[in-house]
Amino acid sequence: METIDSLMLGFSVALRPDVLWYAFIGCVVGTVVGMLPGIGPLAGISILLPLTFGLNATNAIVMLAGIYYGSQYGGSTTSILLRIPGEAASVMTCIDGNAMARKGRGGAALCIAAVGSFAAGTFGVIMLSLVAPPLAGFALRFGPPEYAALLVLGLVFLAYMSTSSLARTLLMAAFGLLLGTIGIDVMTGHFRYSFDIPELGDGIGIVPVAVGLFGLGEILATPSRGVTTDVQRPKLRELLPSREEWRQSAMPIARGSVLGFVIGIIPGSAHIISSFMSYALERRLSKHPEEFGKGAVAGVAGPESANNAASTGAFVPMLALGLPTGPVTAVLMAALLIHGVPPGPMLVSDHPNVFWGFVASMYVGNLMLLALNLPLVGLFVNMLRIPYAYLYPMIIMFCVIGVYEVNHSIVDVWIMLIMGVVGYGLKKFGFDPAPLVLGLVIAPIFEMSLRQSLIMSDDTWTIFLQRPIALVLLCISAVLLALSAISFVLRKDWRAKLAEVEAAEKS
Amino acid sequence: MKHRFTLRADHVAGAAFIVLGVVVFAISGDLPFGRISAPGAGMMPKLMAGLMMAFAAAIMLYPTGPEFGTLEWGDRTHAGLLVLITAIAIACYQPLGFLITMASLVFALLVIVERRGVLPAAAYSVGLTLFAYWLFGKALKAPLERGLFWF
Repeated sequence: METIDSLMLGFSVALRPDVLWYAFIGCVVGTVVGMLPGIGPLAGISILLPLTFGLNATNAIVMLAGIYYGSQYGGSTTSILLRIPGEAASVMTCIDGNAMARKGRGGAALCIAAVGSFAAGTFGVIMLSLVAPPLAGFALRFGPPEYAALLVLGLVFLAYMSTSSLARTLLMAAFGLLLGTIGIDVMTGHFRYSFDIPELGDGIGIVPVAVGLFGLGEILATPSRGVTTDVQRPKLRELLPSREEWRQSAMPIARGSVLGFVIGIIPGSAHIISSFMSYALERRLSKHPEEFGKGAVAGVAGPESANNAASTGAFVPMLALGLPTGPVTAVLMAALLIHGVPPGPMLVSDHPNVFWGFVASMYVGNLMLLALNLPLVGLFVNMLRIPYAYLYPMIIMFCVIGVYEVNHSIVDVWIMLIMGVVGYGLKKFGFDPAPLVLGLVIAPIFEMSLRQSLIMSDDTWTIFLQRPIALVLLCISAVLLALSAISFVLRKDWRAKLAEVEAAEKS
Repeated sequence: MKHRFTLRADHVAGAAFIVLGVVVFAISGDLPFGRISAPGAGMMPKLMAGLMMAFAAAIMLYPTGPEFGTLEWGDRTHAGLLVLITAIAIACYQPLGFLITMASLVFALLVIVERRGVLPAAAYSVGLTLFAYWLFGKALKAPLERGLFWF
């Protein structure tokens, strides 16, 4: 009953004209960002973050979240029509979605993807509104040792679930945590690695790093000659799936929604893993597994639903625990912090308007995306015709403006350029930069929790083993590390299977 | 039987991160590590540098990536030019201001990197810059750099 009352409060916020307007802008921009090559949801959110500085916290987070889940919708369009996954989560959609398009069912595939995304997104939001408040209540029992252990578990989970190896992911996370120590140490006042540059006293910002790694780094590695703009525009009358296609997609959408939400709560590349697992599940359950890869409806409906539900699930730990599960939620968390609204257990009680307004706006946003994406698919597809040679100079310009406008600091723009080069290098050597960004975001919280815990200790590290919640969290971390080691030794890792699928898709 | 050593991308990347870790330790001399119950400003960075080096050693010992020689660097000219042009634009941004710098940045990218015609490139770069000026400077009221010429 309390949840329903709170949701009513949320809808009273979400249906305000200004909030609706910013949700609409977020959804449109997100769809475009998801479709355009060389710019993903993370870069899109980071570049547009400064634009939200003049807004209140609710409007800002509603718009930025709209970009996030809107990009999932947009990503499916390029996957189905162009066989280009806008991001890794869309790889599975490429396989059968594009096969459907080649059979002349591209419109139906887009419609199924959009409806599946809507259903999964709505299911995810309902679950978010039910799960997040009690979880936040539980987290109120956490002290510094519990928080430190929770963050360790988050990083280990991230490494365990990541698409690259455990050592690579933890290496990137450690690098991010190290970068996060730059600046004044708030406990002792020491300047750390600031090299007499006053701007570095405040540390390295999340925006220049995220824009550099995911925006500029991607552009550096994408010469325009390698980007195709040859695209088929589906006709509106081709958009409606047949009755048989609806029937084939119903259960995969339901299964994908549940699977995606559960995986989304866990830190890591949840939306990638969920779409991969959903595809594998649907193929296993199908009476005609031989159709997968040749245009199976379930191969589009399941993964698309799963990755959208996972995007929503990722908001649970971010809002309830203040724990980002991926780089996008890390940037969204940074956006809330910039607006003076710290995510975590106190968010629901201290800022109910922001929390419930945000949750309710996601219901509305999903409806908007469904209404926008189907009728306007032709218009959005036209954007793919813009030659990439003209597109990326615009993106670079927006990167520079976006980063500069955060603090009016040219040092931040230099950091962005350096991180762009680092991102290019990491891409060449097969490193995923996402854990780096996550490490950078959680570095201040992690360091503070760790040091406060140690100060509370009796000059011993065992304080983490003396507190029951911290002990349980660390035990789970140890089990995950052990499982990862066993997978490595036995070479029975799901990453190898995903790599095989991706390699097959590329060929 | 004698195994021939093959230099892999992971060896190079791991070595680079180990060197970075050594550099961090070298420049952290003035940051105290402290004790367990009184951790100093140097504890976290040194712990993280140590962990980073340990993981870097792990990927060097168990490399899974391709041979270093097979890495594809065909985009290096594109990347190098982009970095150079963007760096010049960043250096000029505060002295020259938003309009001149951004129009020049887009124009240079189109003409030098993409080999587009001068006139279309000039029209696009000026149009795009004016649109961005309106969007950020007027519609969103974000203070943009004016530079020496006050525009």
